Amino acid sequence: MKIRIDQQEIDVNPGETILEAARQNGINIPTLCYHEAFGGQGMCRMCMVEVKTAHSTNLVASCTYPINEVIEVHTSTPVIEKARRTIIALLYRTAPQSEFMKKLYQEYKCVENQLEINENERCILCRLCVRACEEIGSSAISAILRGTEKRISTPFDEASTVCIGCAACANICPTGAIELSQTPAGRTIWNRTFAVVTCQRCGQAFATREQLDYIAQHTGIKGSESKLCDDCRKKNLAAQIEQYAQ
Amino acid sequence: MQPAINDDKRMILVCCGTGCLANGSMEVYRALQEQLATTEVQVETYTKSTGCNGWCEKGPLVKIMPDDITYCRVTAKDIPEIAAKTLQNGELINRLLYRDPKTKQRVKSHHEIDFYKKQHKVALRNIGEIDPASIEDYIQRDGYKALGKVLEMTPLQVIDEIIKSGLRGRGGGGFPTGQKWKACAAVDASTRYIICNGDEGDPGAFMDRSIMEGDPHTVIEGMIICAHAIGASSGFIYVRDEYSLAVKNLGIAINDARTRGYLGPQILGSQLSFDIEIVRGGGAFVCGEETALMASIEGNVGEPRDKYIYPTEKGLWGQPTIINNVETWANVPVIMNGGAPAFAAIGTEGSKGTKVFSLVGKVINTGLVEVPMGTTLREIIYGIGGGIPGGRKFKAVQTGGPSGGCIPADMLDLQVDFDNLTKAGSMMGSGGLIVMDEHTCMVEIARYYVNFLAGESCGKCAPCREGLKAMLEILTGICKGEGSEADLDFLREIGETMQIASLCALGKTAPNPVLSTLNYFRDEYLSHINEHHCPAGVCRDLTRFYIDVEPCTGCGLCAKNCPMDAISGDRKEPHVIDQDKCIQCGECRNQCKFDAVKAR
Amino acid sequence: MAADSRPIKQKTFTNILDQYPAEKRYILAMMQDVQGEYKYLPREGMQMIAAYVDVPLSRVYSMATFYKAFSLVPKGRINFKVCDGTACHIKGSNIIIDQVYQYLGIRPGETTPDGEFSLETVNCLGACALAPAVVANEKVHPKVTSSGIIDIIKSYGGQINATSN
Ligand SMILES: Cc1cc2nc3c(=O)[nH]c(=O)nc-3n(C[C@H](O)[C@H](O)[C@H](O)COP(=O)(O)O)c2cc1C
Ligand code: SF4
Ligand code: SF4
Ligand code: FES
Ligand code: FES
Ligand code: FES
Repeated sequence: MKIRIDQQEIDVNPGETILEAARQNGINIPTLCYHEAFGGQGMCRMCMVEVKTAHSTNLVASCTYPINEVIEVHTSTPVIEKARRTIIALLYRTAPQSEFMKKLYQEYKCVENQLEINENERCILCRLCVRACEEIGSSAISAILRGTEKRISTPFDEASTVCIGCAACANICPTGAIELSQTPAGRTIWNRTFAVVTCQRCGQAFATREQLDYIAQHTGIKGSESKLCDDCRKKNLAAQIEQYAQ
Repeated sequence: MQPAINDDKRMILVCCGTGCLANGSMEVYRALQEQLATTEVQVETYTKSTGCNGWCEKGPLVKIMPDDITYCRVTAKDIPEIAAKTLQNGELINRLLYRDPKTKQRVKSHHEIDFYKKQHKVALRNIGEIDPASIEDYIQRDGYKALGKVLEMTPLQVIDEIIKSGLRGRGGGGFPTGQKWKACAAVDASTRYIICNGDEGDPGAFMDRSIMEGDPHTVIEGMIICAHAIGASSGFIYVRDEYSLAVKNLGIAINDARTRGYLGPQILGSQLSFDIEIVRGGGAFVCGEETALMASIEGNVGEPRDKYIYPTEKGLWGQPTIINNVETWANVPVIMNGGAPAFAAIGTEGSKGTKVFSLVGKVINTGLVEVPMGTTLREIIYGIGGGIPGGRKFKAVQTGGPSGGCIPADMLDLQVDFDNLTKAGSMMGSGGLIVMDEHTCMVEIARYYVNFLAGESCGKCAPCREGLKAMLEILTGICKGEGSEADLDFLREIGETMQIASLCALGKTAPNPVLSTLNYFRDEYLSHINEHHCPAGVCRDLTRFYIDVEPCTGCGLCAKNCPMDAISGDRKEPHVIDQDKCIQCGECRNQCKFDAVKAR
Repeated sequence: MAADSRPIKQKTFTNILDQYPAEKRYILAMMQDVQGEYKYLPREGMQMIAAYVDVPLSRVYSMATFYKAFSLVPKGRINFKVCDGTACHIKGSNIIIDQVYQYLGIRPGETTPDGEFSLETVNCLGACALAPAVVANEKVHPKVTSSGIIDIIKSYGGQINATSN
């Protein structure tokens, strides 16, 4: 099926979202809550685009809108730009500590406002962390409460028994909102401190005990493999392949 | 079976809706039963507790049939007299009859007063007339007759009839019901679901509650008819858990309907098998939104999703689903019974039938009213509602709940239907009609709704969550006299972004109360901002009450009701308010019969 | 302590959960029944439900904090529900809420330290004609004024300390 995005004609598979189609063709649409690993969540609404069908013109979230008919898409109109600017302005104010948001705020040339700022906050509630944790299989964190009180947390704001300290959440977070402290003594995240395992080869701390146990339990990978950090494991593997090739 | 009522039989209907219960109708009902059990009355009597008659203001209501007598504000103490005089001798008790404020005459039947005369009951046809826990009562008033008829028709014929009736959804959006059914029936699928939306989250409305409590079978019959039309085998009624009486009565009704073969396998010997399950909601306004409601039934947090694929195609558990509002369902049996043309004869070009409104606020007769679409606001507020109490000036009427807007006095002649309300910057919503007078502050009302929504939004999408947070902060500031004119532009900008960018209709319509008051009552905003003055005398930081010596008669009513003992004065002498003690609650102004308490 | 707080018993939970198949769609109903039993949703209840239905605790916790019907802390002996529906609001329910704070020192969602009173706001009770309405446990008090609420508090044994601020 052929559709048009910003004057460019592109080929799409029915059911594909506008955002996926655009990205595959090098067309940029701004997003905050999208990650290719999880698909569209429809939360930040930065990805709004204008869609013309045979019958009507609508503003839709491109990350969740499935293409099922011939459409014409505009990724930027004055109305859309204004909405994006307002969204950034408002989000910046809830997450003023985030460098990432500050940059966007400047990029979008948001107008100054008098709204109170939420001083120590960085989170913009994109929930990528929640999705990442779910994907790992832990689901230690979730979005709690509702409305303007909504936030991300572990149950009862306490150390979670199912958290494995893998820091997948902190790594995916675009705004650096999840506090993670890593010392040789241990890794602290979500109110819990984990003992860390050091790489047998390079001596770097690379994972928590719980993380390795978890991997062992779920994949059956055991033994020396799991005692190496990512880098050393790759090196190890490369060495093995080389050996094998010779 | 129900005994036919003849001259030596009396049916006594005691209203046991929420309003009357709060006024003590359960005591009245018990006293009546005791009285009739212990004393000899010549006539045979039947007592029934009914759902809300819509006139809670005058409750507890007791109606006596077939004489058609309506007694207002009845207490348990009145029961012996009612038994002795009215039941025994057919004598009227004047004191308990309604007194028409215009003619000063006592009125025997509620049918004779303006409040009821000007109404047209379709969805509420049975409420107050039947015992909601009795399926016989429902059947006697043509209940399940439509179902019998429908089972003889093909599904397409049923859908066609609903399309022809012009019925539009009563849950807010006003989507044509027949078209929705048709779209759902056209999808190729093996399983389809039907949902009744009884979440009723609008904080100032209770019509759906009243229907579920007072006439549960009409909802069930409507759903069974739809099951035949689209080929569904299971249905859900999603009710707010706080509505315990609705949950109870619906439960009884579903059981009775099963026993009688209206629900279950092979309904009335036909091919249709259909059953209904009650799901109790968890208390979330956003769960009234259909995709959030389905998420909630599925056992998730009630967050909506984008509806680029309609629920009629992929709804509950990914199957084609029909979701309609309680009042919509209540209309379905009537349409199938009386035929589409009869239904379409009521109402306006684009909005057929009637609409139930919850007429409340600063109006004399508050309660549930059902009127033909196209009735003017003036007729509803003045004709039925009896106008504004205390001779005060009407200022605005809020329709559509938190998604709606405020309509000013110069639009009183607006004919209420889906399209006219939308054009006026408001909407039908669920049908709340909140009347406001000069003592209602429009900025504070906007703040009230925004505050409500800030707590009720699911918080999933950024424009709605962050927009509401920002609007609330700005409006709270204005109510404290801390706003600036630039704030008004910012409010508009935020509002417009929410309208286009929010995920669901909650966020898309949330700015309506703000934008509509900004449109029609900008002056009031400016008074708060520039003069630090709340013209209505509501915003406490900007209000000081004082007593005008001229009209004050020194009756002392204000002083008696002041919670802070801030008012003093000798009897028959003008009173004064001690500003240091006054908390600006305005109780003195509410109480004063001489309009002597002023705000500045 | 709140008068009707009952000991947390595994058995009570098991009895409730046994009535439902171990499916996700019944989580809400189970939570409601547990709350019905205890007048609040104890943590152990959430943990049992999560284990029974086999979903992460974080998900049950999300639901429990999302739906307003649930309270995660015990309620007072007398639970005041002040209606803040629109009809009640424009007739001054906010003043009643302030008055309760003034005299009992609790805001919506809070309970007095002695476990006697708690306060919450609710949306329309269906008694708008009697606005503003206050419910104390099950009893509806119609047309409550700013001074009337003081008498109501007293009638449930509340100590009114007029000078408290
Ligand atoms: C925030 C929000 C709240 C809603 N609340 C209700 C409600 O309480 N009851 C209802 O029937 N519809 C409600 N709706 C509308 C429903 O989403 C849906 O359109 C309706 O139930 C469809 O039924 P109808 O076509 O019979 O009106 C709400 C919509 C939104 C966006
Ligand atoms: S913590 Fe980071 S990843 Fe998680 S929701 Fe907040 S911004 Fe998104
Ligand atoms: S109620 Fe009115 S008339 Fe009576 S003392 Fe107070 S201000 Fe004066
Ligand atoms: S990327 Fe589409 S809504 Fe966030
Ligand atoms: S409850 Fe009796 S008239 Fe409304
Ligand atoms: S708004 Fe309070 S009872 Fe309806």
